[in-house]
Amino acid sequence: MTVHSTLEKASWAAEPERGSLSMLRIMTWCSLKFGRKATRCALYPITAYFLLFSPKSRRASRAYLERAQERPVRWRDLYRHFFSFASTIHDRIYLINRRYDLFDFEIHGEHLLEKDNGLFLIGAHLGSFEAISAIGKKNAGLRVVMLMHEANAQKINAVLSAINPQSNQEIIGLGNLDAMLKVEAKLNKGYAVGMLADRTPGNEACRPVKILNETAHLPTGPFRMAALLKRPVVFMTGLYLGGNRYAIHFDHLADFSVAMPDGRDQAIQDAVNRYAGLLDQYCRKAPYNWFNFFDFWHPESE
Amino acid sequence: MQDNQKSESTLQNEVAQLMVECLNLEVAAEQISPDTPLYGDGLGLDSIDILEISLAISKRYGLQLRSDGADNKQIFGSLRSLTTYIAAHRTL
Repeated sequence: MTVHSTLEKASWAAEPERGSLSMLRIMTWCSLKFGRKATRCALYPITAYFLLFSPKSRRASRAYLERAQERPVRWRDLYRHFFSFASTIHDRIYLINRRYDLFDFEIHGEHLLEKDNGLFLIGAHLGSFEAISAIGKKNAGLRVVMLMHEANAQKINAVLSAINPQSNQEIIGLGNLDAMLKVEAKLNKGYAVGMLADRTPGNEACRPVKILNETAHLPTGPFRMAALLKRPVVFMTGLYLGGNRYAIHFDHLADFSVAMPDGRDQAIQDAVNRYAGLLDQYCRKAPYNWFNFFDFWHPESE
Repeated sequence: MQDNQKSESTLQNEVAQLMVECLNLEVAAEQISPDTPLYGDGLGLDSIDILEISLAISKRYGLQLRSDGADNKQIFGSLRSLTTYIAAHRTL
Protein backbone atom coordinates (compact mmCIF):
# COMPACT_ATOMS: atom_id res chain seq x y z
CA MET A 1 0.00 0.00 0.00
CA THR A 2 1.21 3.50 -0.74
CA VAL A 3 1.82 5.86 2.14
CA HIS A 4 -0.67 8.67 2.06
CA SER A 5 1.35 11.58 3.30
CA THR A 6 -0.83 14.30 1.90
CA LEU A 7 0.04 17.90 1.36
CA GLU A 8 -3.14 19.46 2.66
CA LYS A 9 -2.66 22.92 1.29
CA ALA A 10 -0.66 22.78 -1.90
CA SER A 11 0.25 26.41 -2.16
CA TRP A 12 0.79 26.49 -5.90
CA ALA A 13 -2.76 25.34 -6.57
CA ALA A 14 -4.12 28.25 -4.59
CA GLU A 15 -2.10 30.74 -6.59
CA PRO A 16 -3.37 31.02 -10.17
CA GLU A 17 0.06 31.72 -11.61
CA ARG A 18 -0.90 35.37 -11.81
CA GLY A 19 2.56 36.45 -12.89
CA SER A 20 3.01 34.00 -15.71
CA LEU A 21 -0.49 34.49 -17.10
CA SER A 22 -0.40 38.28 -17.28
CA MET A 23 3.10 38.03 -18.70
CA LEU A 24 1.80 35.66 -21.36
CA ARG A 25 -1.10 37.88 -22.40
CA ILE A 26 1.12 40.87 -23.06
CA MET A 27 3.72 38.85 -24.90
CA THR A 28 1.49 36.78 -27.18
CA TRP A 29 0.10 39.76 -28.98
CA CYS A 30 3.40 41.58 -29.48
CA SER A 31 5.45 38.50 -30.28
CA LEU A 32 3.34 37.43 -33.21
CA LYS A 33 3.20 40.99 -34.52
CA PHE A 34 6.87 41.97 -34.27
CA GLY A 35 8.83 38.69 -34.34
CA ARG A 36 11.14 36.93 -31.87
CA LYS A 37 14.23 39.12 -32.12
CA ALA A 38 12.43 42.42 -31.64
CA THR A 39 10.09 41.29 -28.87
CA ARG A 40 12.84 39.50 -26.99
CA CYS A 41 14.17 42.95 -26.02
CA ALA A 42 11.01 43.47 -24.01
CA LEU A 43 11.93 40.48 -21.83
CA TYR A 44 14.65 42.47 -20.07
CA PRO A 45 12.37 45.10 -18.49
CA ILE A 46 9.61 42.52 -17.96
CA THR A 47 12.05 40.29 -16.10
CA ALA A 48 13.24 43.24 -14.01
CA TYR A 49 9.63 44.15 -13.19
CA PHE A 50 8.76 40.65 -11.97
CA LEU A 51 12.03 40.36 -10.11
CA LEU A 52 11.29 43.58 -8.21
CA PHE A 53 7.60 43.05 -7.57
CA SER A 54 7.29 39.31 -6.85
CA PRO A 55 9.04 39.01 -3.50
CA LYS A 56 7.63 35.53 -2.85
CA SER A 57 8.91 34.13 -6.14
CA ARG A 58 12.21 35.88 -5.56
CA ARG A 59 12.63 34.28 -2.15
CA ALA A 60 11.79 30.87 -3.60
CA SER A 61 14.25 31.40 -6.44
CA ARG A 62 17.01 32.39 -4.03
CA ALA A 63 16.42 29.43 -1.74
CA TYR A 64 16.40 27.06 -4.72
CA LEU A 65 19.51 28.51 -6.38
CA GLU A 66 21.43 28.28 -3.12
CA ARG A 67 20.74 24.55 -3.12
CA ALA A 68 21.39 24.00 -6.81
CA GLN A 69 24.55 26.08 -7.17
CA GLU A 70 25.96 25.53 -3.69
CA ARG A 71 27.32 29.06 -3.48
CA PRO A 72 25.96 32.44 -2.36
CA VAL A 73 23.27 33.75 -4.70
CA ARG A 74 23.60 37.21 -6.24
CA TRP A 75 20.92 39.37 -7.85
CA ARG A 76 22.49 38.48 -11.17
CA ASP A 77 21.61 34.81 -10.58
CA LEU A 78 18.03 35.65 -9.66
CA TYR A 79 17.77 37.79 -12.79
CA ARG A 80 19.04 34.96 -14.97
CA HIS A 81 16.58 32.54 -13.38
CA PHE A 82 13.61 34.86 -14.01
CA PHE A 83 14.90 35.70 -17.48
CA SER A 84 15.14 32.05 -18.39
CA PHE A 85 11.50 31.56 -17.31
CA ALA A 86 10.39 34.58 -19.35
CA SER A 87 12.32 33.29 -22.38
CA THR A 88 10.63 29.89 -22.33
CA ILE A 89 7.19 31.50 -22.04
CA HIS A 90 8.04 33.82 -24.92
CA ASP A 91 9.34 30.95 -27.04
CA ARG A 92 6.25 28.91 -26.25
CA ILE A 93 4.32 31.29 -28.49
CA TYR A 94 6.53 30.45 -31.46
CA LEU A 95 6.78 26.74 -30.71
CA ILE A 96 3.02 26.36 -30.47
CA ASN A 97 2.80 28.21 -33.75
CA ARG A 98 5.26 25.72 -35.25
CA ARG A 99 8.11 28.14 -35.90
CA TYR A 100 10.74 25.45 -35.27
CA ASP A 101 13.07 27.14 -37.75
CA LEU A 102 13.81 29.83 -35.13
CA PHE A 103 15.46 27.38 -32.74
CA ASP A 104 18.47 25.22 -32.34
CA PHE A 105 17.59 21.89 -30.69
CA GLU A 106 19.97 19.23 -29.47
CA ILE A 107 18.27 15.93 -28.65
CA HIS A 108 19.51 13.16 -26.37
CA GLY A 109 18.02 9.71 -25.90
CA GLU A 110 15.44 9.87 -28.67
CA HIS A 111 15.78 6.12 -29.27
CA LEU A 112 13.95 5.52 -25.96
CA LEU A 113 10.76 6.68 -27.64
CA GLU A 114 10.64 3.84 -30.13
CA LYS A 115 7.94 1.78 -28.45
CA ASP A 116 5.07 0.39 -30.51
CA ASN A 117 2.75 -0.18 -27.61
CA GLY A 118 2.82 3.29 -26.09
CA LEU A 119 4.76 4.70 -23.18
CA PHE A 120 4.58 7.29 -20.43
CA LEU A 121 6.64 10.46 -20.68
CA ILE A 122 7.18 12.00 -17.26
CA GLY A 123 8.41 15.55 -17.00
CA ALA A 124 8.48 18.36 -14.45
CA HIS A 125 8.26 22.13 -14.27
CA LEU A 126 11.84 22.04 -15.43
CA GLY A 127 12.61 23.69 -18.76
CA SER A 128 10.13 23.95 -21.60
CA PHE A 129 7.48 21.35 -22.31
CA GLU A 130 6.73 23.02 -25.66
CA ALA A 131 10.29 22.40 -26.80
CA ILE A 132 9.73 18.68 -26.21
CA SER A 133 6.40 18.63 -27.96
CA ALA A 134 8.06 20.40 -30.90
CA ILE A 135 10.19 17.28 -31.34
CA GLY A 136 7.02 15.23 -31.38
CA LYS A 137 5.52 17.33 -34.12
CA LYS A 138 8.69 17.45 -36.18
CA ASN A 139 9.08 13.71 -35.77
CA ALA A 140 5.65 12.63 -36.97
CA GLY A 141 6.06 9.19 -35.42
CA LEU A 142 5.65 10.54 -31.90
CA ARG A 143 2.16 11.48 -30.82
CA VAL A 144 1.76 12.90 -27.34
CA VAL A 145 -1.37 13.24 -25.25
CA MET A 146 -1.07 15.12 -21.95
CA LEU A 147 -2.70 13.86 -18.80
CA MET A 148 -3.38 16.29 -15.97
CA HIS A 149 -5.66 17.26 -13.12
CA GLU A 150 -8.94 18.74 -14.26
CA ALA A 151 -8.37 22.34 -13.17
CA ASN A 152 -4.98 22.43 -14.89
CA ALA A 153 -6.41 20.83 -18.02
CA GLN A 154 -8.92 23.64 -18.36
CA LYS A 155 -6.31 26.31 -17.72
CA ILE A 156 -3.82 24.86 -20.20
CA ASN A 157 -6.50 24.45 -22.83
CA ALA A 158 -7.40 28.11 -22.45
CA VAL A 159 -3.78 29.16 -22.77
CA LEU A 160 -3.09 26.96 -25.79
CA SER A 161 -6.12 28.05 -27.71
CA ALA A 162 -5.30 31.68 -26.97
CA ILE A 163 -1.85 31.20 -28.48
CA ASN A 164 -2.87 29.06 -31.42
CA PRO A 165 -6.45 27.89 -32.01
CA GLN A 166 -5.06 25.06 -34.16
CA SER A 167 -2.58 23.87 -31.56
CA ASN A 168 -4.23 20.41 -31.41
CA GLN A 169 -2.56 19.41 -28.17
CA GLU A 170 -4.65 16.54 -26.88
CA ILE A 171 -5.34 16.67 -23.16
CA ILE A 172 -7.04 14.12 -20.91
CA GLY A 173 -8.30 15.39 -17.54
CA LEU A 174 -8.03 13.06 -14.55
CA GLY A 175 -11.41 14.13 -13.21
CA ASN A 176 -13.55 11.67 -15.16
CA LEU A 177 -14.24 8.02 -14.49
CA ASP A 178 -13.20 7.00 -17.95
CA ALA A 179 -9.81 8.75 -17.84
CA MET A 180 -8.01 5.42 -17.36
CA LEU A 181 -9.81 3.86 -20.31
CA LYS A 182 -9.01 6.84 -22.51
CA VAL A 183 -5.36 6.64 -21.53
CA GLU A 184 -5.26 2.92 -22.24
CA ALA A 185 -6.87 3.42 -25.65
CA LYS A 186 -4.25 6.04 -26.55
CA LEU A 187 -1.40 3.81 -25.41
CA ASN A 188 -2.76 0.95 -27.51
CA LYS A 189 -2.60 3.25 -30.51
CA GLY A 190 1.08 3.87 -29.77
CA TYR A 191 0.76 7.29 -28.17
CA ALA A 192 3.12 8.67 -25.55
CA VAL A 193 1.13 9.83 -22.53
CA GLY A 194 2.79 12.85 -20.94
CA MET A 195 2.53 13.95 -17.30
CA LEU A 196 4.30 16.48 -15.13
CA ALA A 197 4.97 14.65 -11.88
CA ASP A 198 6.58 17.25 -9.61
CA ARG A 199 3.43 18.92 -8.26
CA THR A 200 0.09 17.78 -6.91
CA PRO A 201 -3.05 19.78 -6.26
CA GLY A 202 -3.17 18.34 -2.73
CA ASN A 203 -4.65 15.17 -1.26
CA GLU A 204 -2.57 12.94 -3.52
CA ALA A 205 -0.34 10.23 -2.16
CA CYS A 206 3.28 11.38 -1.92
CA ARG A 207 6.63 9.87 -1.04
CA PRO A 208 9.61 11.60 0.58
CA VAL A 209 12.69 11.82 -1.66
CA LYS A 210 15.96 13.72 -1.64
CA ILE A 211 16.39 16.52 -4.18
CA LEU A 212 19.42 18.84 -3.91
CA ASN A 213 20.30 17.35 -0.52
CA GLU A 214 16.96 18.08 1.07
CA THR A 215 13.77 16.08 1.58
CA ALA A 216 10.88 16.92 -0.73
CA HIS A 217 7.62 15.09 -1.40
CA LEU A 218 6.73 13.78 -4.85
CA PRO A 219 3.39 12.31 -5.89
CA THR A 220 3.34 8.60 -6.70
CA GLY A 221 0.20 8.81 -8.86
CA PRO A 222 1.89 9.08 -12.28
CA PHE A 223 4.00 6.00 -11.56
CA ARG A 224 1.10 4.04 -10.09
CA MET A 225 -0.79 4.70 -13.28
CA ALA A 226 2.10 3.55 -15.47
CA ALA A 227 2.45 0.40 -13.34
CA LEU A 228 -1.26 -0.32 -13.57
CA LEU A 229 -1.20 -0.02 -17.35
CA LYS A 230 2.14 -1.87 -17.56
CA ARG A 231 4.09 0.53 -19.78
CA PRO A 232 7.65 1.83 -19.94
CA VAL A 233 8.28 5.25 -18.42
CA VAL A 234 10.69 7.76 -19.92
CA PHE A 235 11.80 11.02 -18.28
CA MET A 236 11.63 14.16 -20.41
CA THR A 237 12.94 17.68 -20.12
CA GLY A 238 13.55 20.52 -22.58
CA LEU A 239 16.30 22.61 -21.01
CA TYR A 240 16.72 26.19 -22.12
CA LEU A 241 20.41 26.94 -22.67
CA GLY A 242 20.18 30.63 -23.58
CA GLY A 243 19.87 32.36 -26.94
CA ASN A 244 17.73 30.17 -29.17
CA ARG A 245 19.19 26.91 -27.89
CA TYR A 246 17.34 24.04 -26.23
CA ALA A 247 18.65 20.67 -25.11
CA ILE A 248 16.01 17.96 -25.02
CA HIS A 249 16.77 14.98 -22.86
CA PHE A 250 14.99 11.64 -22.63
CA ASP A 251 16.13 9.22 -19.91
CA HIS A 252 15.00 5.75 -18.92
CA LEU A 253 12.94 5.86 -15.70
CA ALA A 254 11.23 2.50 -15.33
CA ASP A 255 9.74 -0.31 -17.36
CA PHE A 256 6.50 -1.63 -15.91
CA SER A 257 5.86 -3.76 -19.00
CA VAL A 258 8.23 -6.43 -17.66
CA ALA A 259 7.95 -8.48 -14.47
CA MET A 260 8.56 -6.64 -11.20
CA PRO A 261 10.53 -9.13 -9.09
CA ASP A 262 10.31 -7.07 -5.87
CA GLY A 263 6.64 -6.28 -6.30
CA ARG A 264 4.74 -3.34 -7.67
CA ASP A 265 5.10 -1.01 -4.67
CA GLN A 266 8.86 -1.39 -4.66
CA ALA A 267 9.04 -0.82 -8.42
CA ILE A 268 6.99 2.37 -8.00
CA GLN A 269 9.20 3.54 -5.14
CA ASP A 270 12.31 2.90 -7.25
CA ALA A 271 10.83 4.89 -10.13
CA VAL A 272 10.00 7.86 -7.86
CA ASN A 273 13.54 7.78 -6.48
CA ARG A 274 15.04 7.66 -9.93
CA TYR A 275 12.82 10.54 -11.03
CA ALA A 276 14.05 12.58 -8.02
CA GLY A 277 17.62 11.69 -8.97
CA LEU A 278 17.11 12.99 -12.52
CA LEU A 279 15.53 16.22 -11.25
CA ASP A 280 18.53 16.67 -8.98
CA GLN A 281 20.95 16.00 -11.83
CA TYR A 282 19.34 18.43 -14.30
CA CYS A 283 18.83 21.16 -11.66
CA ARG A 284 22.58 21.12 -11.08
CA LYS A 285 23.36 20.93 -14.78
CA ALA A 286 21.03 23.74 -15.87
CA PRO A 287 19.90 25.52 -12.67
CA TYR A 288 17.91 28.32 -14.33
CA ASN A 289 15.36 25.85 -15.67
CA TRP A 290 13.57 25.09 -12.41
CA PHE A 291 10.16 26.75 -12.75
CA ASN A 292 8.64 26.00 -9.38
CA PHE A 293 8.63 29.50 -7.97
CA PHE A 294 7.38 28.51 -4.52
CA ASP A 295 9.01 26.72 -1.60
CA PHE A 296 9.04 23.31 -3.25
CA TRP A 297 10.66 21.63 -0.25
CA HIS A 298 8.22 23.01 2.34
CA PRO A 299 5.00 23.87 0.49
CA GLU A 300 3.03 23.81 3.77
CA SER A 301 5.05 26.76 5.08
CA GLU A 302 3.55 29.15 2.52
CA MET B 1 -38.64 -4.27 0.64
CA GLN B 2 -36.54 -6.27 3.06
CA ASP B 3 -35.05 -8.16 0.14
CA ASN B 4 -34.00 -4.93 -1.50
CA GLN B 5 -32.32 -3.74 1.64
CA LYS B 6 -30.57 -7.03 2.04
CA SER B 7 -29.24 -7.13 -1.53
CA GLU B 8 -28.04 -3.56 -1.23
CA SER B 9 -26.01 -4.30 1.88
CA THR B 10 -24.62 -7.44 0.21
CA LEU B 11 -23.53 -5.38 -2.75
CA GLN B 12 -22.07 -2.79 -0.39
CA ASN B 13 -19.92 -5.47 1.26
CA GLU B 14 -18.87 -6.81 -2.10
CA VAL B 15 -17.80 -3.38 -3.33
CA ALA B 16 -15.92 -2.70 -0.08
CA GLN B 17 -14.15 -6.03 -0.49
CA LEU B 18 -13.25 -5.19 -4.08
CA MET B 19 -11.81 -1.82 -3.03
CA VAL B 20 -9.72 -3.34 -0.28
CA GLU B 21 -8.31 -6.01 -2.61
CA CYS B 22 -7.81 -3.70 -5.55
CA LEU B 23 -5.92 -1.03 -3.60
CA ASN B 24 -4.36 -3.30 -1.02
CA LEU B 25 -5.88 -1.15 1.73
CA GLU B 26 -4.89 -1.72 5.32
CA VAL B 27 -8.46 -1.78 6.62
CA ALA B 28 -10.94 -4.65 6.63
CA ALA B 29 -13.86 -4.33 4.24
CA GLU B 30 -16.32 -4.48 7.17
CA GLN B 31 -14.63 -1.50 8.78
CA ILE B 32 -15.44 0.85 5.93
CA SER B 33 -18.51 2.74 7.04
CA PRO B 34 -21.00 3.35 4.20
CA ASP B 35 -20.91 7.11 4.70
CA THR B 36 -17.19 7.73 5.13
CA PRO B 37 -15.87 9.90 2.30
CA LEU B 38 -13.61 7.87 0.02
CA TYR B 39 -11.59 10.88 -1.11
CA GLY B 40 -9.22 12.83 1.07
CA ASP B 41 -9.85 12.84 4.81
CA GLY B 42 -12.03 9.73 4.96
CA LEU B 43 -10.41 6.69 3.38
CA GLY B 44 -7.67 8.89 1.95
CA LEU B 45 -7.97 7.74 -1.65
CA ASP B 46 -6.60 9.96 -4.40
CA SER B 47 -7.50 10.45 -8.03
CA ILE B 48 -5.41 7.53 -9.32
CA ASP B 49 -6.93 5.21 -6.67
CA ILE B 50 -10.38 6.28 -7.83
CA LEU B 51 -9.49 5.54 -11.45
CA GLU B 52 -8.12 2.16 -10.44
CA ILE B 53 -11.31 1.22 -8.58
CA SER B 54 -13.53 2.48 -11.36
CA LEU B 55 -11.67 0.26 -13.81
CA ALA B 56 -12.08 -2.78 -11.54
CA ILE B 57 -15.76 -2.02 -10.96
CA SER B 58 -16.48 -1.56 -14.64
CA LYS B 59 -15.06 -5.00 -15.35
CA ARG B 60 -16.78 -6.75 -12.45
CA TYR B 61 -20.25 -5.25 -12.93
CA GLY B 62 -20.21 -4.49 -16.63
CA LEU B 63 -20.58 -0.74 -16.17
CA GLN B 64 -20.12 1.62 -19.04
CA LEU B 65 -17.75 4.32 -17.86
CA ARG B 66 -18.59 7.42 -19.75
CA SER B 67 -17.39 10.90 -19.06
CA ASP B 68 -20.62 12.67 -19.94
CA GLY B 69 -22.60 13.46 -16.83
CA ALA B 70 -20.75 10.99 -14.64
CA ASP B 71 -19.62 13.06 -11.71
CA ASN B 72 -16.75 11.31 -9.95
CA LYS B 73 -16.82 13.36 -6.81
CA GLN B 74 -20.44 12.54 -6.22
CA ILE B 75 -20.34 8.85 -7.23
CA PHE B 76 -17.22 8.25 -5.19
CA GLY B 77 -18.45 10.41 -2.32
CA SER B 78 -18.99 7.36 -0.14
CA LEU B 79 -19.35 3.60 -0.30
CA ARG B 80 -23.12 4.09 -0.15
CA SER B 81 -23.28 6.45 -3.13
CA LEU B 82 -20.92 4.22 -5.11
CA THR B 83 -23.08 1.16 -4.40
CA THR B 84 -26.23 3.01 -5.41
CA TYR B 85 -24.58 4.01 -8.67
CA ILE B 86 -23.47 0.45 -9.39
CA ALA B 87 -26.90 -0.98 -8.56
CA ALA B 88 -28.49 1.43 -11.02
CA HIS B 89 -26.02 0.93 -13.87
CA ARG B 90 -24.77 -2.65 -13.63
CA THR B 91 -25.28 -5.08 -16.49
CA LEU B 92 -23.60 -8.11 -14.88
